[in-house]
Amino acid sequence: MSDGAVLAVRDLSTVFPSEAGPVTTVDGVSFSLGAGETLAVVGESGSGKTMTFLSVLRLVPPPGRVTGGEVLLEGADIAALPASEMRWIRGAGIAMVFQDPLTALNPVFTIGDQMLEVIRAHTAMSPRQARALALEVLERVHIPAPAKRIDDYPHQLSGGMRQRVLIAMAIALRPKVLIADEPTTALDVTVQAQILELLAELRSELGMGMVLITHDLGLVARYADRVAVMYAGRVVETSPIAQGFGRSRHPYTRSLFRSIPRLDLPADQPLTVIAGQPPDLARLPAGCAFEPRCFLGNGREDCRSERPALLPTTSDRHLSACPHWRALIDAEAGA
Amino acid sequence: MLRYTARRLLLMSITVIGMVTVVFFLLRAIPGDPASYMLGDYATEESVAALKAELGLDRPVWEQYLGFVKRALTGDLGTSVVTGQPAFDEVLESIPWSAALSVSGIVIAVLAGVPLGVMSAVRHGTFADLFIMFGALVGISFPVFWVGLVCILLLAHEVRLFPALGASSSTDFFTQVHHLMLPALVLGFSVAAYIARLTRSAMLEVLGQDFVRVARAMGVPERRIVYRLALRNALIPVLAVIGVTFAWSLGSAILVEAVFSRPGLGSMILKAVFARDYQLVQAGVFVLASAVVLVNTSLDIVYGWVDPRVSVS
Repeated sequence: MSDGAVLAVRDLSTVFPSEAGPVTTVDGVSFSLGAGETLAVVGESGSGKTMTFLSVLRLVPPPGRVTGGEVLLEGADIAALPASEMRWIRGAGIAMVFQDPLTALNPVFTIGDQMLEVIRAHTAMSPRQARALALEVLERVHIPAPAKRIDDYPHQLSGGMRQRVLIAMAIALRPKVLIADEPTTALDVTVQAQILELLAELRSELGMGMVLITHDLGLVARYADRVAVMYAGRVVETSPIAQGFGRSRHPYTRSLFRSIPRLDLPADQPLTVIAGQPPDLARLPAGCAFEPRCFLGNGREDCRSERPALLPTTSDRHLSACPHWRALIDAEAGA
Repeated sequence: MLRYTARRLLLMSITVIGMVTVVFFLLRAIPGDPASYMLGDYATEESVAALKAELGLDRPVWEQYLGFVKRALTGDLGTSVVTGQPAFDEVLESIPWSAALSVSGIVIAVLAGVPLGVMSAVRHGTFADLFIMFGALVGISFPVFWVGLVCILLLAHEVRLFPALGASSSTDFFTQVHHLMLPALVLGFSVAAYIARLTRSAMLEVLGQDFVRVARAMGVPERRIVYRLALRNALIPVLAVIGVTFAWSLGSAILVEAVFSRPGLGSMILKAVFARDYQLVQAGVFVLASAVVLVNTSLDIVYGWVDPRVSVS
């Protein structure tokens, strides 16, 4: 499946030195993304979702460092590029939309000015041509009266409008891959849907591969083709949505689903939570990082001693890092 | 915009009137008066009283104040008792000296302080940062008169780069500039130290902002990010402080003028205070206060231009 993938990542690792020893925030992550495909990346805060993609763009904040792995953008390994050439990839090859549109725009420049800065960083366009392109992409993200809005300052726009501007900026150079890092977390619920619809629309129009980083499992089912679940810096499960996102083959994913608040249950029933805390990345257990919180493997000798690899289950498109995944299916069949 | 400017002008005049009023009463509260000063230690009480009556100093203070206000409104700030010249003319004569020193000091400070602060922030934690910040610490900690004296000793006495005197009676422009250079550098150094530290911390804060990360993620070259996108944000607090610095530099200018025996508003006011030359002090403070307020007001207007979020209403 990695053939024809627009973005393929293999064994990507990122380490932060700390007083307690090196902390591996991204631990041998692999995934691939096809053109026109949406990959959802889910996991708790601190599971390494954002850091994985900052590592892809090589924007890990110091003292963190990408320590290994391949990042193939249309087959070419950009992880091997010298730092000076990476900037040409950012924005033009892979673009990223961040979580909070309120702080992601520069308050003292007009949005047009900021868009021109990006466009002209990658092309030899004249200011007039760049402005025409900016207007075109603003139109494309459905900003009403772009010719008027282009000279506005960020504070004159609503949160949803600002996120549209950031999306416009991200697609202006027709990147192959668009990474949307919790693009709707900071927005009103009504605006959330509009932004996600817009992203889906742009993805199919422009044929980009899209990564949707989120912790909202409801969004995953609606907008993604495939999902990668991360825990403690590792991918623990990847599966196509169509092949039963509800039929997960990893106990962590199962637990995540059980902890979604449900409206059909009595209001006084306590919410289901995953027992324990996410592990301290500086002191990971030798075996499976989820073992201490796992309903399936807690206390099992093999789970404690061996770190499980991400392996195919019933199909080679559904991978799980739990060697006991069959038990989940058996339990289902028994129920 | 017009209403905003009008309101600022009104506020400005209130500030200046307030300053001059405070100085008027403070001057009369300090012991001694112009009459006793002029007549010296051996004057008889009768002659002092007579001179006081002549100068109008025997009347109650509030009456003197009303008279002062009435005359000031017609543009008459009184006559210097020491020189017999109109006080305002005396002040006007010293303004070019002070303006030249303060303005060149501030210009040097901004031209040196801002780039050094930016460099320090961009390379923070490196040797260059450490070096610049050590220099800034020296500039802030050492009093300007001491730095002035050391500079005279080293750069005027040992290495004869500059004249030791901060002024020349020559009317030749280059001679004047040559004399101005050392005092301006000394004044500029202490202000630059302050501006460099401020620019560095403002810049460090801005470089940690989300929009800088976004610009990086979009492939904007680092040079553009630092010197265009981030710098304009960092300059907002710096600009606000330049107004304050201007007032402060006028204060430091008094010390610099004294060290370099340079004429100017500061040294003039100082001498006038010793001579209890009330009119001259009042006129000097009036001009100083107006200058500070004027600079701050114009900076407020520039501020609104740099930072679009500051609405002028």
